[in-house]
Amino acid sequence: MSKSPKPAGLQTHHLCLGYDGRDVIADLSLELPVGKVSAILGPNGCGKSTLLHALARLERPRAGRVLLEGDDIHATDTRALARRLAILPQAPLAPPGISVGDLVRRGRAPWRGVLQRFSQADAAACAAALEAVDMTALRDRDLDALSGGQRQRAWIALTLAQTAPFLLLDEPTTWLDLPHQIEILRLLQRLNRTQGVSVVSVLHDLNLAARFCDHLVLFGPHGLVATGTPRAVLSEDNLRTAFGLDARVVACPVSGAPMVCPI
Amino acid sequence: MSRLRAALIAALIALVCVLSLMIGAVHIGPCDLWRGLIDNEGPAAFTVRVLRAPRLLCALGAGAALGLSGTIFQMLLRNPLAAPDVMGFNAGAGFAVIVAISTGVNWPMPLVAAMGGGVAAVLVAALSYRRGRMPDNLTLILVGLGVGFSASGLSTLLGLRLPDTLAAEAQRWITGSLSARSWTHVAQIWGLGAVLCAMLVVQVRGLGLLQLGPALAAGLGLHLGRSRAGLLATAVLLAACGVAVAGPVPFVALMAGPLGIAITRARGPAARLLAGAGSGALITAAADLLARALWLGVQLPVGVMTGLLGAPYLLWFLSRAAKEGTL
Repeated sequence: MSKSPKPAGLQTHHLCLGYDGRDVIADLSLELPVGKVSAILGPNGCGKSTLLHALARLERPRAGRVLLEGDDIHATDTRALARRLAILPQAPLAPPGISVGDLVRRGRAPWRGVLQRFSQADAAACAAALEAVDMTALRDRDLDALSGGQRQRAWIALTLAQTAPFLLLDEPTTWLDLPHQIEILRLLQRLNRTQGVSVVSVLHDLNLAARFCDHLVLFGPHGLVATGTPRAVLSEDNLRTAFGLDARVVACPVSGAPMVCPI
Repeated sequence: MSRLRAALIAALIALVCVLSLMIGAVHIGPCDLWRGLIDNEGPAAFTVRVLRAPRLLCALGAGAALGLSGTIFQMLLRNPLAAPDVMGFNAGAGFAVIVAISTGVNWPMPLVAAMGGGVAAVLVAALSYRRGRMPDNLTLILVGLGVGFSASGLSTLLGLRLPDTLAAEAQRWITGSLSARSWTHVAQIWGLGAVLCAMLVVQVRGLGLLQLGPALAAGLGLHLGRSRAGLLATAVLLAACGVAVAGPVPFVALMAGPLGIAITRARGPAARLLAGAGSGALITAAADLLARALWLGVQLPVGVMTGLLGAPYLLWFLSRAAKEGTL
């Protein structure tokens, strides 16, 4: 029996998203590659977060489909999907008085039956997740007692405990200062390189995205502007179309990645 | 040490139980209590076994059911004011029973109470409905207050028009009372309570995920609508079971969760629910003991006593929340 190989990655097919009869995103077809760190960029209100929510089946499309490795995510059981795709929303809520370890344990939900006890595999996944974000020593601390960067790492550990090969993050660096933003992006890059997690984040900072991501998706006020490598996407023309921004793009003296210098 | 603190609630419940069996119109010493309870002999046997034990067990069961219900609401709506007594379900259940009594409908009271609570719940949901989005929690609570006041006002009106023979029965459904409870009522509240607790056990993990916010809960594979509806239905039914035995006892559901969690410092969802159930049982049994023992010869309904305890709590809470701007 011969079967054509399943398309890899996360794809949208003629996707339309919006509220109250207005399309925020219209007829969007794109692919987020597997095994890469990708970023969704664009001005405020262009539908970046809406798209990310739709990719994680938190938002029903008005038309079109989202496919994960060829399977329509709205036709897949939500628990089965949660094992293949994790999302960290922009402002998750912390239950009062929860410890880092307890928070991370909740990431095992899609793997546990209703009355199934916490297994050794669950414990191992949680320990690995804490280790990956360098939070093992803080596992018994209250989430409220942590700094902003540590708290964000704890939330990322929760999604890592889910052990899904695709990880979506909605503005994971917002509210953090520059060193902590870099720390989070380095962490995501390391997770991708060492564990093969495919990462898709909504980001605001173009230069950080160019530096730490392999694949960019750039939106403007009227829809998709460009997708591809940072060098291809962050051109002076594309920046004008997407943001109305006059800028020069030079090579970063440290990494060689494109660097946006507004005029 | 939260295990030690949980033991504190258990010890307090045990103390209230012993005192409840000993104190009353007839005081019973420890020896007579033992003989009456264990050997079914001596002067105290009838008082303990027929009068006080069922009343106590009803207080514990109804209190635990109301406490659980309130704690579920508070965790689900993320607001310490969310509780079935504040939100009109208790009053709705009481009203339905009074309507049944005054029209002579002879259905089982738990069923009538559950229907009344359910209708009140649907009414609150419908009145706070906004097209296309979840009503915010404060709207839900304020609408619930309105529905509750209407229901208890109508209950009083109907109660006043009842003949004297039914008036005492009606009083139970207006303020909440545990007088004249029999072993039938004990079986009813503990049996139904056990079924609802079993329903709750399979939903606890979902509640823990919902605490993380809807987006993350859905991302972790939870069916949001289904699990919210299941938890709300369980909470409304628990409240209805409590009301069916003890009447719409005010403030127990509201106070039990915050008090139990403060005492035990419970963290996980299951531990918090247990703390709420334990402190609900404690509050109700202690309030009933006080209502019987404070003024000898006068038997206040338990609802009057929880009202006396609960109103200052609500005022304190509201003034603190208003000051902190967290209402």
